[in-house]
Amino acid sequence: MKNYVKLFNFEMGRFLKGYLALVGFTVIVQVLGAVITSRSYTNKINEHVYHEGMAIDEFLSQFGDMSMYAIIHSLWIQGPILFCISVLLIYTLLIWYRDWFGKNTFIYRLLMLPTERMNIFFAKLTTIMVMVLSLVALQIMLLPVLNKLMGSLVPEAYFMNLSFKEMISGFNVLTILFPFSFSNFMIHYGLGLLAVSLIFTAILFERSFRLKGIVYGILYIALSLLILFSPVIMIAITETSYLYPLELFYFELILCVLVFVMSILTSRFLLNKKITV
Amino acid sequence: MELKFNNRDPVYRQVIQYFKIQIAKGTLEPGEEIPSRRELANKLKINPNTAQRAYKEMEEEGLIFTEGNLPSRVTKDKQVLRAVREELIMEATETFIQTMHAINVSLDEVVQRVTDNYQSHLEEGEKDDRS
Amino acid sequence: MIEVKNIKKNYGRKQVLKGVSFTANKGEITCLIGVNGVGKTTIMNAIMGLTPINSGEILIEGKQLDKTSYEKITFIPDAITMLPQMKISDAMAFMNDYYQCWNQKRANDMLKFFRLEKESRISELSKGNRAKVNLLLGLALDVDYVLMDEPFSGIDIFSREQIAEVFTSHLIENRGVIITTHEIHDIEHLIDKAVLLDDGVIIKEFNAEEVRENEGKSIVDVMREVFRV
Repeated sequence: MKNYVKLFNFEMGRFLKGYLALVGFTVIVQVLGAVITSRSYTNKINEHVYHEGMAIDEFLSQFGDMSMYAIIHSLWIQGPILFCISVLLIYTLLIWYRDWFGKNTFIYRLLMLPTERMNIFFAKLTTIMVMVLSLVALQIMLLPVLNKLMGSLVPEAYFMNLSFKEMISGFNVLTILFPFSFSNFMIHYGLGLLAVSLIFTAILFERSFRLKGIVYGILYIALSLLILFSPVIMIAITETSYLYPLELFYFELILCVLVFVMSILTSRFLLNKKITV
Repeated sequence: MELKFNNRDPVYRQVIQYFKIQIAKGTLEPGEEIPSRRELANKLKINPNTAQRAYKEMEEEGLIFTEGNLPSRVTKDKQVLRAVREELIMEATETFIQTMHAINVSLDEVVQRVTDNYQSHLEEGEKDDRS
Repeated sequence: MIEVKNIKKNYGRKQVLKGVSFTANKGEITCLIGVNGVGKTTIMNAIMGLTPINSGEILIEGKQLDKTSYEKITFIPDAITMLPQMKISDAMAFMNDYYQCWNQKRANDMLKFFRLEKESRISELSKGNRAKVNLLLGLALDVDYVLMDEPFSGIDIFSREQIAEVFTSHLIENRGVIITTHEIHDIEHLIDKAVLLDDGVIIKEFNAEEVRENEGKSIVDVMREVFRV
């Protein structure tokens, strides 16, 4: 356990600079988006209302009011989010492969540590999850701040204050990232954890058997997905459902846990018996 | 300590031979302290086990002695010291005679050559010392 | 004692180890000699559990390797195993963090001996100095066995001399050492036992002093005979 904590700290430290750059990039782009969008809107107010004497109501009916809606579906907000997601996805692979890169093969050191090798696995797994969750937390805190910022830049009569719930309603990447209920939150991030774990297992297959390992890895993921979707597939084939929706939900939950445990045990086996430097 | 090893004789033997020469020359005096096994290994860049073996053999031959935990010393036994010198001289003479004999050099010529060359070798040595 | 018993290893269809057996004793320097690509590094990796073998067995003091073994046996690969952005002090702290057998005093002594600066970054070190740090990180562990892969390859003569000096010092005394080399010259007088490897098999295993004494042959003489070059 002590070694797991040390390894987790170490893994966090290794990507800290890159991670802080991501955070910085997200904050800067989103704030910039809020400022630029507000500015161009107030310019419009200046032009039409103050110079041309347009009535506020007429202006609002023509151009609409200003709110977070204006940027939340734009690249200003979603761009950095998508960028962060892709960087973290790439880092999910890199967090393993970087240990094999170059002549300074750190994997030798890691595998020769007098500790359970699964500590390395769990340290990397939690590193990814913590980085994802803290970016989500950052975004949750940032959205109301942006709302306030826009409110201060746009005259009150033209601005519509939005609650957090209102901001992220509608179907987009945000509703996946910020589920409303706690149980949904657990489901989304539980599935995320499962996905990362499966990717890790596939990587370990590749690192153990190289070219052949890629095939094994893909087959392993396919098998896992087959298990996860088996109830749905059954329903599709038989065209009847023997389970009530809630039963189906619990059944899926059990399958998820099963697939996760399988992934952990397989990874453990590969790390202990099959991995090669 | 400078010692060039050849690769075909056991290293421990070469170490013993080196000590014998130092003793015969008087560089190592009777009763003088010698380096520890580890120091010797380090100085000569040889395996510590080999240094250990050399010391063990020398101890058995009575060339060196160790009292308790003290460092080993060169023997003070006059008889052993004389024998070392004797052995080195005999070995060299034997080799020399064998070579001479093999090319049919007569004893008279050998003696003549040795006398002449020994003298000039000494003079050269003196010159080297002065320069 | 480290016992390597009839190990076989395939890479794809190619068999790189075709039943390798030898032993390495504590307190002795055992040298695996063979040209490049005959499987020396693979043997080291296999002993350390860094690559699986297809058959055979490896025992360390009669036991199979597990996580606790890494407090008893260590491996110094031919390249440093720390991150390039680390300082030497970071690397030492890392070792201290995970290994109970890490000997900080000895690490500091070696730093001094190698005249290395604690605050230098690994990426900024010369090749020779990097090799020394690599050696330091392994040898400062109080382990019974040390494996070294080509400790002399690709570094300057002065670094080589310094490293050779390590072999005759208290740093490896009483330990079992296995080292690989394709160039026996630097260590001819340092090793106890030579294990000649060619094409995935051990062709001869002998004590260097015994062969000199009984047969009047140098290690290179024996190599010449068995490699038939």
